[in-house]
Amino acid sequence: MQIEATDRTPAISLTHDPLKLSISGESFPEDVSAFYGEVISAINQLAANAKGKIEVEMAMVYINSSSIKAMYRIFEGLDAYRQAGNDVQVTWKAEADDDIMQELGEDFKDRFQALNFTVEQHG
Amino acid sequence: MADDVFDLYDREKLLLAEGQAILDGGDHAQVQAFAERLFDRFSKLVRENEDLTRHSDRQEQRLVKLNRNLKTQTLELEQQRSRLEGLSLQLAKYLPPQIHDALFAGKYDTQITTQRKKLTVFFSDIKDFTRTAESLQPESLTEYLNEYFSEMTQIALAHGATIDKYIGDAVMLFFGDPESKGFKEDARACVDMAIEMQERMVVLQNRWRERGFENPFVVRMGINTGYCNVGNFGSDQRLSYTIIGGEVNVAQRLEANADPGGILISHETYVQVDDMVDVEERQAVSLKGIDRTIRTYAIRARKAETDKPLRLKHPQGVHIDLSPQYLSSDDRHWIAEHLKTLASQLEALEESGKASD
Repeated sequence: MQIEATDRTPAISLTHDPLKLSISGESFPEDVSAFYGEVISAINQLAANAKGKIEVEMAMVYINSSSIKAMYRIFEGLDAYRQAGNDVQVTWKAEADDDIMQELGEDFKDRFQALNFTVEQHG
Repeated sequence: MADDVFDLYDREKLLLAEGQAILDGGDHAQVQAFAERLFDRFSKLVRENEDLTRHSDRQEQRLVKLNRNLKTQTLELEQQRSRLEGLSLQLAKYLPPQIHDALFAGKYDTQITTQRKKLTVFFSDIKDFTRTAESLQPESLTEYLNEYFSEMTQIALAHGATIDKYIGDAVMLFFGDPESKGFKEDARACVDMAIEMQERMVVLQNRWRERGFENPFVVRMGINTGYCNVGNFGSDQRLSYTIIGGEVNVAQRLEANADPGGILISHETYVQVDDMVDVEERQAVSLKGIDRTIRTYAIRARKAETDKPLRLKHPQGVHIDLSPQYLSSDDRHWIAEHLKTLASQLEALEESGKASD
């Protein structure tokens, strides 16, 4: 799955070889359900379609509240994949001067403690 | 990519629908299991809600901070704009308004470039200024001089003059650049301005006398029309927008030869304004560097409306130029009757032409 970034939506990439999910950019879609529906479904079906370690990289610049709800669904799907016996490695990247994205990453890390979750600063 | 049926809150909504069905069905055995799942989902929702609220608060804080920064920047920009506006107003007093306006509109080229243009150049000078100045207290001199320059400048700008410079008690200005209405109209505007200036001087002289200025300023004015070099002269470090050339010197010479309180114009200017002013031809002058002798005319007054020549020109060779004040009543009557006859004949020809079309 490859979705190009727009002014309002992030770039999303989900590959199976290697198994990797990347989401980066700004996220305030007009219809969050419509935009994230496909990727959430794909993550939810991951246990049935794949096996082994998945690398997840999130580098968000801005994210609105509805998109955070969608992120929850993605992380829940990843947690279900972990519960199916797979390793999930999450790297949350926040820009060096962006406290909001840094703290949001820390919140997700706190909520999904069973995932191998790292929060990094870059730039 | 969108799945139309996907809903971020689908699980919560399903749970609510299920709960409603259980409650409606009255099957209490299912309530326990449902309550557990409801509790689990509700716990997750509470956590999500906590996180969302916290995130929302952070975003709000950032917005508040950005808004404060924006207000500070807006205030700083406003102060900067105000300073620049003040500076611009101060600067405007040192520059011809046309140049100032063009500079601040970003339309003015500050390259050292000049061009030859037909301009009407004006010089004025206060007669016996040094002696008059010595008879006045410095404060009074400053007061009268400022009043004089202010009034003259106001009239000059109202007529569209480009004020070149003030040289001591002298004023040098011109018409035709950077804006021009054509050299004829430029010359007429200049002469009109000079007449208004001298008219204003009479009012000022009376006012000054009432205030104790016994021998108030009397001004000589000279006007010439001709080709000059106009533009930016100087160096990259310091430019002066001005005019140079022999015709500029002619205007200065005319001013020196003018009557006190009078306006002396060259023949080149006179031919542009002969229908608007009565003049008296004066002694011709010659100047070093100018081969021709310059015929000069002292302006006596504006022509009265009735004195203005009646003119009719057509490229097909029609040229009528009448000065009614020099015609007898019989002559005026004869000409009027013949012109009427001519008009009737032309109309008849026009009508017959239309009929044959």
